[in-house]
Amino acid sequence: MSDNILEVSDLQVRYRVGRRRIEAVRGIDLTVPRGGIVALVGESGSGKSSVSQALIRRLAGNGEIAAGRAVFDGQDLLQLPMKRMRAIRGGSIGFVPQDPNSSLNPTLRIGEQLVEGLRLHLKLGREEAAQRAVRILGDVGLSHPEARARQYPHELSGGMKQRVLIGMAWSCEPQLVIADEPTSALDVTVQRLVLDQMQQLAADRGTAVLMVTHDLGVAADRAEQVVVMRHGQVVDAGPTAAVLHAPTHEYTRDLVAAAPGLNSVRLTASAAPVATEASHPILEIRELRKTFTLRRPGAAPEPFTAVDGVSLAVPAGRTVALVGESGSGKTTTARMAARIETPDSGSVLLDGQDVTTLRGEALRQLRRDVQVVYQNPFGSLDPRMSVAQIIAEPLRAFGLGGRREQLTEARRLLDAVQLAEGLADRRPAELSGGQRQRVAIARALALSPKLLVLDEPVSALDVSVQQQVLQLLVDLQAERGVGYLFITHDFGVVRQIADEVVVMRQGRVVEQGPAERLLSAPEHEYTRALLEAVPGTAAR
Amino acid sequence: MTRAGTALRLVAPKVLQFAFVVWATYTVTFLLVRVLPGDPVLAALAVQSGDATTVDPEQLAALREQAGLDGSLLEQYLAQLGALLTGDLGTSLATGRTVVDMIAGVVPGSLAVAGLALVIGVLTSVVLAFLASIAPWRWLRDLLVQLPPLGVAVPAFVTGLILISVFSFSLGLLPASGSRSGDSVILPAVTLAFPVGAIFFQVFITAIREAEASGYVFTAEAKGLGRAAVFGRHVLRNALLPSVTSIGLLIGYLAGGTAVVETVFSREGIGRLVVSAVLARDVSVIQGVIIVVAVVYALAALLVDLSYPLIDPRLRPGKAAPKPAAPSTFSIAPEADALTSSTTDPQNGAAK
Amino acid sequence: MTKLLRPTTLVSILVVLLCVVMAFAPQLIAPGDPLAGTPRDRLLPPSAEHLFGTDSLGRDVFTRVVHGAWLSLAAATLAVGIGGLVGGAIGLLCGAARGRVGTAIDFVVMRFVDVLIAVPGILLALIVVATLGFGPWSIALGVGLGAAGSFARIMRAQVLRVRGEEYVEAAAVLGVRPLGVLGRHILPNAARPVLAMAALELGTAVLSVSAISFLGFGVAPPAPEWGSLVSAGRDYIATSWWLTVLPGAVIVGVVLAVTRLARVIGESR
Repeated sequence: MSDNILEVSDLQVRYRVGRRRIEAVRGIDLTVPRGGIVALVGESGSGKSSVSQALIRRLAGNGEIAAGRAVFDGQDLLQLPMKRMRAIRGGSIGFVPQDPNSSLNPTLRIGEQLVEGLRLHLKLGREEAAQRAVRILGDVGLSHPEARARQYPHELSGGMKQRVLIGMAWSCEPQLVIADEPTSALDVTVQRLVLDQMQQLAADRGTAVLMVTHDLGVAADRAEQVVVMRHGQVVDAGPTAAVLHAPTHEYTRDLVAAAPGLNSVRLTASAAPVATEASHPILEIRELRKTFTLRRPGAAPEPFTAVDGVSLAVPAGRTVALVGESGSGKTTTARMAARIETPDSGSVLLDGQDVTTLRGEALRQLRRDVQVVYQNPFGSLDPRMSVAQIIAEPLRAFGLGGRREQLTEARRLLDAVQLAEGLADRRPAELSGGQRQRVAIARALALSPKLLVLDEPVSALDVSVQQQVLQLLVDLQAERGVGYLFITHDFGVVRQIADEVVVMRQGRVVEQGPAERLLSAPEHEYTRALLEAVPGTAAR
Repeated sequence: MTRAGTALRLVAPKVLQFAFVVWATYTVTFLLVRVLPGDPVLAALAVQSGDATTVDPEQLAALREQAGLDGSLLEQYLAQLGALLTGDLGTSLATGRTVVDMIAGVVPGSLAVAGLALVIGVLTSVVLAFLASIAPWRWLRDLLVQLPPLGVAVPAFVTGLILISVFSFSLGLLPASGSRSGDSVILPAVTLAFPVGAIFFQVFITAIREAEASGYVFTAEAKGLGRAAVFGRHVLRNALLPSVTSIGLLIGYLAGGTAVVETVFSREGIGRLVVSAVLARDVSVIQGVIIVVAVVYALAALLVDLSYPLIDPRLRPGKAAPKPAAPSTFSIAPEADALTSSTTDPQNGAAK
Repeated sequence: MTKLLRPTTLVSILVVLLCVVMAFAPQLIAPGDPLAGTPRDRLLPPSAEHLFGTDSLGRDVFTRVVHGAWLSLAAATLAVGIGGLVGGAIGLLCGAARGRVGTAIDFVVMRFVDVLIAVPGILLALIVVATLGFGPWSIALGVGLGAAGSFARIMRAQVLRVRGEEYVEAAAVLGVRPLGVLGRHILPNAARPVLAMAALELGTAVLSVSAISFLGFGVAPPAPEWGSLVSAGRDYIATSWWLTVLPGAVIVGVVLAVTRLARVIGESR
């Protein structure tokens, strides 16, 4: 009876792609002590999800376990016949899947989905299982659990669904729970609540937890031990404090340095900033309001106020971070500032000029001064165009220079965002997320705008790449004196780039002020809660 | 009150759409007959009398009136529309009977074949899809999936003729033609069942594949459920929605398929009616049949549409997820949100 | 490239090439005269001399099938061409106009498109044939109208999908004029799945065209056409199976090949 509930040695996982075999996991070792919490940390492509899927023998169709042992409570999981494996899945090893929005059957009631596992593993009768399901829903912190059990997944929010999935994983009293990025899709405050819940369940029942995450901050807060993976191999492992404060491997050191939650400091430009006449703010919005109409099947259309009287100003050449969780109205506000949406009331002033009601050609001319960088690097570039064409498109739209001049300018911009000139003829599909985002930035700067509105530009990127792109943005701002309206939900990022911060909630501004002051001594209770919820805060 | 109100709000636009499509069908066929070059009445007369040279102007005028082809375009349009609303589809140029009469006489036969074909086709493809998903060997699954495209590629008239050749002439088991005996329905129905089943299978298997690749199937397997349970409770229910949608498509296909099958098997039916009407240039009959077929299709589409909320809970009225930042007071307590969306009437929040 | 070399794909390409030769230069494959027949040689089973046997008038069925390829295939291609252009244009207009010019136009036009879909292709073709007269070109127009409905729906769905993509909004924000966005972003990205569908529709069109000519509305005899060849063999099905089965097999082979290629093209892009 060893101290470890799980001992993995030399696990290797491959994926068959056509004729080739791609190695995703190249021989890793991992141990999880009984009742302990271990975080498996890595960026995309590290192989961490493959490890979790391999442990329950549920890899994607073209995946296979090439070698290794995974001894769970005395048995090698990788050698068991499927029948025994199914008894273990859910019964002795619970699994919390990644995306709460797609991990529940939309056509079954919540209670029914919980009951399935209970009847299978605990052999409970129908009545008993139903009652136990309701109790579990209560245990994971859902209000009115009897009613919740009769609802369908689409009637619950993301956080509630994740709690259901956690309840499901714990429902049959397993000895080990594997959680694959259990909170990545959630708002930071909800994330905190959900992780608290998980930690509590683990502590109450003595369950061991193997948590797969890309967020070092989460690992720092919740795990006793950390295993760092990169390119399919373990790069660092050990007690959390030791690994994070005294990393042995260079990669871990970089990761810790780049983790916004753990270690963020205002980035400074490499060169001295260009002087800007600060007579008036480059962007000023006053009392903006916007109401949408919600239409649901069979119900009367309802008005929904997304933005309810928001005012802020962006000084020339400076960065204002607009922060909020989902539903706060920050994106709508930014879209109105960029005049993609028209406000219902209020005014938008760009460089002193009122542009609130511009339309048609006048609005199009405005584009030379205000540009946008979108969140999704995969969606904002036309897949059929080459990088050079993409960057040169705004120049072409305004007839600036002939074909050749436009291409030259495109190459210059590629250089400015630190991308190799050779990428000019590639298509977006051939670039990484970080590279695509740089292309998007180059494109946005082509017309030398005075203001950039950036909608969560680094949220979809790996942490190490995030750092680079943010540094690039800071440098470009110093070079060109561009103002930034930077939308984000991540306070770690805010710390790194903001001069001023505006916090929004449910369509209203809750607090705003200089970054240094707001981040160190927030006045409003909501701001304080947001700051405290950032993973890794406890460890700092 | 609210129950009836939401039901009405759901149903009304779809019924309106249905009525619109019926009206549009009438307009399209009306235009097709009159806009395309060629004089249908003259042609019909020529077919009847055998040659196109001597035409009695009085007879011509009388026939025109009978077919509703006299008067200005607008007059014709409104007159026929009026007749349509009272259930009068006009009179046949060739036989002199009312179109409604002619159609009503042959509908039962066609319905029998089409209905049986639908049932056989759908049931067979469901079984085949089930086998293809459950089969533990990959080669078997791949094989089963490759078969149905054959069903679509072989034209119905070829299948029908081959079936006749084998089952009627060689084996003498089933009748090759006629509409009177009960088992005369079998061969025609089987002929149509092939393409119908094939089309349904492709939609169904795609839906199944999509469901199998989803997150909730992963969750189900991670809970330790066996293949059959995962398929039955998770995959099947979610594959149903797109499959039900395709039934509308199938009905349209069947309506066209009867023309061929009834000709091959010499059966009385809507298809044969249309074919002989075309030969006689009897536009009234063709127009009438097309309107009837369109109405049936639109009705089927309407029923399918109305059935969606019953199949997919997400399409049911009312409840949506509460807004993520909904709680009025921000606290670290468990989510204290309302049962239903915070913007709807809390009194109406009783769970189903 | 590896996908192209799979056996089924290779066979499909061969079949399609064969069809092209049959349509434009039938003499290369069947040098005989499709209309000439020796009554003495009537209803002979397939042999080395007559690959597909002979029909009731002693004509070589193989030659007739090869020479009949032109009419059947040309009519089907024309049908898809008409359907694709007309339907595509309608779908593009509806999809592009929706929301900008209100939803009324979109609603009305799409209901008319619903009619083209609600009425089975064969019946629609029959009404066209009844008014315009028999023959492969009327059939092509009729089948094309039916196909236009499906094309319109797919094109509209694709246009609406692409309009919702971020890069389309981004283009407008970059200062590209609305027509520029339509021509340079929306159309190229929406057209691709529609083109894939066109290839699939070709197979369906061949089936529809041959079905209607089977019913007797195709070209007047003695000119050969696949559907009418099968129809002519109907009376002799008890004795001379080759008259129906072999032309039928050719139709099946062509449709399978076209469909297979269409899927390969659709997947590879």
